[in-house]
Amino acid sequence: MDLDRTTTALLTGLFDPRNAAAWEAFDCRYRPILVGFARNCGLKDDAAAEIAQETIVRFVEEYREGKYDRSRGRLGAWLVTIARYRIIDQQRRRGVAKVERGESAMVNLDDENSVSAAYEVERRRAVLREAIEELTTKSKTDPKTVRAFEMLVYHGLPPARVAEELGMSTHDVYLAKSRVAAKLRDIVQRLEQEYEESPGDWEAGGRPSARLEE
Amino acid sequence: MNAFGADDETQDLPLEIGCGRFPADALELAALARHEREIEIDPELETHLVLCNRCAAAVDKFDEDNAFLGEIAEVASKLRPVSQPDTDDGSPIRGYQLGKELHRGGQGAVYEAEQVATRRACAVKMLLGGRFASEKQHVRFEREVEVVAHLRHPGIVTLYESGLTRSGEPWFAMELVEGERFDEFVRRGALRPRALVELFRQVAEAVAYAHRRGIIHRDLKPGNILVDRDGVPRILDFGLARISEPSQMGEADGKADGKTDGKSDAGGEATMAGEFLGTFAYAAPEQLAGDPAGIDSRCDLYALGVVLYECLVGRRPFEGAKSIAELVVQKTMSDPPRPRTIEPSVDSDLEVISLRLLAADPARRYDTADALVEDLTRYLDGRPILARDDSLAYVVRKTLRRHWIPASAAAVLAITVFASGISLYFAYRNAERERIRSERTLTSFQKALGSANPETGGGSSAMGINDFLGLVEQQVSMELRDEPYQLAGVLRTLGLVHLGFDDAELARAAIEEAHRVQSGGFEEGKISAEQFAETEHALARLRYYLKDLRGAEESYRAALALRERALGETSVETIETLRQLATTLRAQQRLDEAQIALEEAVRRCELLPETPESEVLRVGLLHGRATLTLARGEVQNAVLQYREALEALVRMVPADDWRVGRTRYNLARVQLRVGDLDAALVNAEESERVLRLKKGADAAMTKEAASLLETIRTMRDRRGQRTIDEVVEDPASGAGEAGDSEQGAARPINGGA
Repeated sequence: MDLDRTTTALLTGLFDPRNAAAWEAFDCRYRPILVGFARNCGLKDDAAAEIAQETIVRFVEEYREGKYDRSRGRLGAWLVTIARYRIIDQQRRRGVAKVERGESAMVNLDDENSVSAAYEVERRRAVLREAIEELTTKSKTDPKTVRAFEMLVYHGLPPARVAEELGMSTHDVYLAKSRVAAKLRDIVQRLEQEYEESPGDWEAGGRPSARLEE
Repeated sequence: MNAFGADDETQDLPLEIGCGRFPADALELAALARHEREIEIDPELETHLVLCNRCAAAVDKFDEDNAFLGEIAEVASKLRPVSQPDTDDGSPIRGYQLGKELHRGGQGAVYEAEQVATRRACAVKMLLGGRFASEKQHVRFEREVEVVAHLRHPGIVTLYESGLTRSGEPWFAMELVEGERFDEFVRRGALRPRALVELFRQVAEAVAYAHRRGIIHRDLKPGNILVDRDGVPRILDFGLARISEPSQMGEADGKADGKTDGKSDAGGEATMAGEFLGTFAYAAPEQLAGDPAGIDSRCDLYALGVVLYECLVGRRPFEGAKSIAELVVQKTMSDPPRPRTIEPSVDSDLEVISLRLLAADPARRYDTADALVEDLTRYLDGRPILARDDSLAYVVRKTLRRHWIPASAAAVLAITVFASGISLYFAYRNAERERIRSERTLTSFQKALGSANPETGGGSSAMGINDFLGLVEQQVSMELRDEPYQLAGVLRTLGLVHLGFDDAELARAAIEEAHRVQSGGFEEGKISAEQFAETEHALARLRYYLKDLRGAEESYRAALALRERALGETSVETIETLRQLATTLRAQQRLDEAQIALEEAVRRCELLPETPESEVLRVGLLHGRATLTLARGEVQNAVLQYREALEALVRMVPADDWRVGRTRYNLARVQLRVGDLDAALVNAEESERVLRLKKGADAAMTKEAASLLETIRTMRDRRGQRTIDEVVEDPASGAGEAGDSEQGAARPINGGA
């Protein structure tokens, strides 16, 4: 595990306003999750981006003021609370009485479980996304093996066809699939540790909501 | 050498998938089959997976990987545009050069084509409007085509491959067949009935082949059957109707003509409505009803019925319908006119076959395409067809005539089964498809079946019993097809009969299946604890027979708990389970536990009122006590107890009841052991006679008895020359002694010195 990339390391770095690297790494990791989360709440792309921006800025401010105490709740829970508050606030400012719940809104903002599940979905996606990137850019897996895997899994081609295209046996295509799956699992597992948040953590510790909604 | 580079981080992973006996794709298919009911896997592989841990682990791994990779694929598809590998040869389909259009219909077009790499001529069908809403559907489509592409039969047009065009429409490449539509070929050639049946049988054989692989056509019609230049009928588009149906692809656009048609339909069907009727004339009523769950391979049999009917009389069975709705009403509410009323020259057997195929209720059709092939073959051979009368009465009568040795026991049995079967049949008819919940009827039916068991009824091995059981199973499966749990109950009974005849393989198949189905049913509250206990008890008996004593114990305990709950502690059934549990414990040499269980059974038995059932149970307990005493090494006591058990038994059952044979056998063994050779000889002779009569000469138990008899005779001849114990192994250890369980032939495992 890359110790500089753990959430703890990122948070430590954030204390220093001049630590641009920490800021960027934090932003890189959480902005897409927050945008996805806001979209799941039924927001349009631009509104979702706005929420993500506000949430990150607000979080860093509060964090530097020492309001966020990790022992009292996971980072994700804290972010979600800010984002949720922001979304409700935004809707109010725009004159929407109630958060819109069209078909696109998968989340009931009044339901904590629903809200945390929506965040968890995005967080898991972010982990998988990063794992996929890492597989193609950083890992030392044989490119042909990766190519076979991509054709099979991303493009959904039948193994026999992949074998034909790449000039390998069907058996080797299956092996490629199984090997890359194992590799990806390793990466995902490591990233999960770096993110330090598992779904089970949601109920642990206190929540910051009382202070944010005063 | 493998295909992976030396730098590959994954190179330390294993290079094998399973044990190597089955290819990886077969194992992957097995993994997919866990989630897709429609995928059937090779029974050989299924068995192998039970036995081979490596392959089972490989299937688990595939399953696990697929779940994880599904997640990965979903994220990947959003990460960057997923595109097909580039096509730059100008053709809409990579690797194929398209030629002239052969046919165009509402669903797409068929082109003559050439596979560029192989220069192989083929036909390419492109489906219009069949775009996939998602990657997942695309994957599913490819998988299904892959399954269909494995069909290899001279009567089926081979599918080569499939894919998506640049603009996302699915296509298939298949063998190019030049030929004539089936009906036109028949009409033009004015085929005589025999030639027609010969040709039609080839079609049925191809259908049967695909059905055996779990693939249903769903859109059989003359336009999908081409007779090639060699006069061989070839079926097009096998299994593709479902794949290409918009509703299956998540594109329910409301159009009902989601059928593929390889060649043009008959003339006059160009309009939309006409096209509907053209396709639907061949569709089974259950297909028209639109319930996918109600559709199985028998819809193809219906379609074949329409094809045959049309060839026989020159028109379709139902004509004149102005709308689909009208056609549905016709098909479900009325019978088609008998072919001979339209064309008097039609052979009556062919009339019967076509009407059987056209039955509105799938259960009244042939069960399988194989059965149809069989009847067509019978027709061609000049033998009586089986479809002539599909009633149970007819089949039973016919089978009796063919296979059964006229014996009074067999006749009684036949009448019992026949009568209960018929009453069941009428009960079903009267209920008008409503679920029958009359457990009493079913119980009497099950009892009738059980009466074929030589251990509890009048059966004997000279009866051609497997013919009978096969017949019963076939009939029952048909009658009870909508009642899986009740069917399982009958299967269980059949399994016990097989067990009674020492046919472990058939017994196992039936009982394990019954247990599998009923445990689901029990969990969902669909069957009573009493019913399920019956099956659990049967499973325990099977396991005991197979010497899986731990498994037997587990099942007996489960059955005991269920029976205590459902029937109370002091019911004959509950105590019987307890008695068997004691036997199982004794066989594991857990003698103290066995003693406790047995004493508890005796105590409860004393509380029962005196009925024939409770008396039988009491005798069983006496026998069990004797065997336990013997296991403890108290041979003299065992002699007394076995004799007591025998005396009680012969007061209740005929002298040639199998249990008399078993008890005499055990008595003979202990008498031999204590040196009472004369008494041992009498009992062994009688035992051998009874068991040979009831169980058959080949039964394990009969052989044991014969061998014992042989030993006793040898001993008598050499009397005084050697001591008994030098010849006979120690019976106290349990070896060679017949167990006192119902299954008899199972002998307790020798627990050692």
